[in-house]
Amino acid sequence: MADPDGSLVLQVVGLRKHFGGVQAVNGVDLAVAEGELRAIIGPNGAGKTTLFNLISGDLAYDSGQIYFRGEEINGLPPPELCRRGLARTFQITSIFRRLSTLENVQTALLTHHRRHHNLFRPARRLYRDEAMVLLDRVGLVDQAPKPSGILPHGDQRRLELALALASEPQLLMLDEPTAGMAPRERHEIMALAAGIATDARLTIVFTEHDMDVVFAVARRITVLHQGAVLAEGTPLEVRGHPEVQRVYLGQRRGTAR
Amino acid sequence: MRVARWLVAIAILLILPPLLPSFLVVVMTEIAIVALFATAFNLLMGFGGMVSFGHAAYFALGAYAAAILVKQAAWPMLLGLAAAPFAAAAGALFFGFFIVRLTHTYFAMLSLAFAQIVFTVVFKWKALTGGDDGLLNVWPPAWLKSPLAYCYFTLVVVGLAMLALHAIVDSPFGYALRAIRENPRRARFIGVNVRRHQLQAFVLSGFFSGLAGGLFAFFNGSVFPDFAYLNKSFEPLVVALLGGVQSFFGPLAGAVGFKILETYIARQWPIYWPLFLGAAVVFVVVALPQGFVGLLQRRAWRTRTAR
Amino acid sequence: MDFVTSLFPWITNGPLIVVQVMSGLSVAMFLFLVSVGMSLIFGVTRIVNLAHGSFYMVGAYLMVTLAEMLPDHPLAFWLALLVAPLGVGLLGGVIEVTLLRRIYHREPLLQLILTFGLILVIGTLVLLVWGPDNKSVARPEALAGSVKILGQPFPSYYLLVLALAPIVAVGLWVIFYRTRWGMLIRAATVDREMLGALGVDVATLYTQVFVFGSLLAGFGGALSAPTVAVALGMDGDVLTTAFVVVVIGGLGSFAGSFVSALLVGELQSFGILVFPAVSIVLLFAIMAVVLIVRPWGLLGHPEE
Repeated sequence: MADPDGSLVLQVVGLRKHFGGVQAVNGVDLAVAEGELRAIIGPNGAGKTTLFNLISGDLAYDSGQIYFRGEEINGLPPPELCRRGLARTFQITSIFRRLSTLENVQTALLTHHRRHHNLFRPARRLYRDEAMVLLDRVGLVDQAPKPSGILPHGDQRRLELALALASEPQLLMLDEPTAGMAPRERHEIMALAAGIATDARLTIVFTEHDMDVVFAVARRITVLHQGAVLAEGTPLEVRGHPEVQRVYLGQRRGTAR
Repeated sequence: MRVARWLVAIAILLILPPLLPSFLVVVMTEIAIVALFATAFNLLMGFGGMVSFGHAAYFALGAYAAAILVKQAAWPMLLGLAAAPFAAAAGALFFGFFIVRLTHTYFAMLSLAFAQIVFTVVFKWKALTGGDDGLLNVWPPAWLKSPLAYCYFTLVVVGLAMLALHAIVDSPFGYALRAIRENPRRARFIGVNVRRHQLQAFVLSGFFSGLAGGLFAFFNGSVFPDFAYLNKSFEPLVVALLGGVQSFFGPLAGAVGFKILETYIARQWPIYWPLFLGAAVVFVVVALPQGFVGLLQRRAWRTRTAR
Repeated sequence: MDFVTSLFPWITNGPLIVVQVMSGLSVAMFLFLVSVGMSLIFGVTRIVNLAHGSFYMVGAYLMVTLAEMLPDHPLAFWLALLVAPLGVGLLGGVIEVTLLRRIYHREPLLQLILTFGLILVIGTLVLLVWGPDNKSVARPEALAGSVKILGQPFPSYYLLVLALAPIVAVGLWVIFYRTRWGMLIRAATVDREMLGALGVDVATLYTQVFVFGSLLAGFGGALSAPTVAVALGMDGDVLTTAFVVVVIGGLGSFAGSFVSALLVGELQSFGILVFPAVSIVLLFAIMAVVLIVRPWGLLGHPEE
């Protein structure tokens, strides 16, 4: 099943997962090529977050295969996936709240460079410059010394993005990166992520509720419905897809202009 | 400035003991040992977010390893003391392997269960441990026998151990440990093998607890099964809590306060000591979750920001 | 077989085994009373009450005082058995309202530490009120002697304990499964969010549950007073064993406490015959294995 020309960063084949009697992910196929900016959309309960958790190793799946850069990653735990170049963010902001903003990023860098078993070197001075570069990229230089838990919500989302970038991933998975943000801020952070992706030649897969954001940045869109892929294509194709119009866009005409 | 402060502290510690009445020299020695035990414990609680209810097990393993090697195998004292932390670390590795699989309340309970097993084994294995009677006459050699000499010896050993612990807290290892405390899931996704890291912290904590136990064996001149009992497990917890678990030196401050109070209150009114201790714990939990050091720090922070 | 019987001569002694089983059952009764309350309190409030052994001890000491205070009357014992648990329930209520209520929203560890502090406070207060000497409570006259069971002597007071056991178990079952209050408790154990949705006054429910759990522990202590030397170390002994029972059965599980109390009661009763030296190790080893394999206990539910 491995992809023949090796240009796929992520390939998902027939993935299934159920919770009790609910089939949360029901035979999903997905192929994401290198450098893509892929949105995964769908109504609440379509299985987006479950799919994310399955791919990132947070949950075990019932059947199917996941290939990351041509290798099957069945059963690999998150730290191992992180090492291989898969990073992610969470729908509910997930940072180290009582560490300073700088320490957050330094810790991620230390781990990425496999230095986190070192017992006797002061970590304060390690990867400080690299961390500042990353913070600069997400616009948080001024916040570096503050405890990250007291940053405004939007800045915490940016910090989480920096944490994910610290491991120099090939694939970055963002689970509703704009959740809880004001509309203007949403476009800013997505433009930021898209810019970083282009610069670093990394592939991004993201889920998003805000259709404005999705259609503004995504180059391809996958629509999930009831745990299965309903449609896939360019924003234009998806917008014109009759099924999508019926089950999804039709209901939220307000946001899906 | 920082260095100067440190030099002053060291100078005071070096000059003070001969000036003190001899019973205070003994108290000071004990404070140092309790401070080490509580700081080792706090590596887990304050920095790793893991609360052990059975840390007496590693204290006792260290104490008994030293006592048994010196008494039953006739090792020299220094070698026996050097073996103590390794014996405790081995125990911590074995028990910790299972304990770190659990979280929160269950973590605390399994650590307690293992400590009770250690206690019972120590209590029942008369041939090796002397059972209820303990092992007596575990004294250091002549050159360390005076309270003053042993006080200096303890200060040096504890000082070095605290230095190592301080370095560990500030090291990359310590950063990753704090990251796990804050958010284990996120830690996994930046590439930390959470359980393995927790186990390493557990072993390190056991190592230094065992060193404290070894020092205490020669300080006390005897070892008893109580060293592994519940009350002993709660000692570092109470001390760290009183001093403040969020700061590295909280347990040290807690140990000073705890032992001075114990010396005066427990001697004057031994019956009221547990009442006082219990009430203090209840008070700290309900009113001062950051401990006394935390309170001072908050004050300091407030005055600094107010300026 | 010869080898086994030489090690454990009682194996061939059928009547002795029966008596041993029965005394195991009465131990189980005491364990059940204290552990079901502890488990119940955890299920609803998520607090592991380390002071539960202290409540048991206070129940026993109140029994001592009541036995001295009440006039010498055949009914005095039964009145004391009724009043002592109420006193402990009151104590539990005071503690819940003044202290625990302030820390429900805080880290579980602080809650554990607080109840540990209570052990020390209650232990010292008991020492101050009742003094350091062991006390004893006389059994009621009708149950003072012993009866022969298959030729083996068996204290008749234990027959009372054994008779009460099914009554208590069925009574609790009715409360948990046949009353609205019991339904709320079970709902709280499974999903606390649901309570708010049901429009329940959560604070009051917590107090009620804590008082009820304390009452059960107090009843266990009062009932056990005539069978043991009422002494200061009771709190720790009872706590450790009850703790093992609750963990093995599953925190928050009523049926788990029941099954586990039986298991541990019999194990203690026979353990003393079989492995006198290591029966406690055996207990903790079983608890450790349960925690490793099924941390939520034999009949508990895994936490989400």
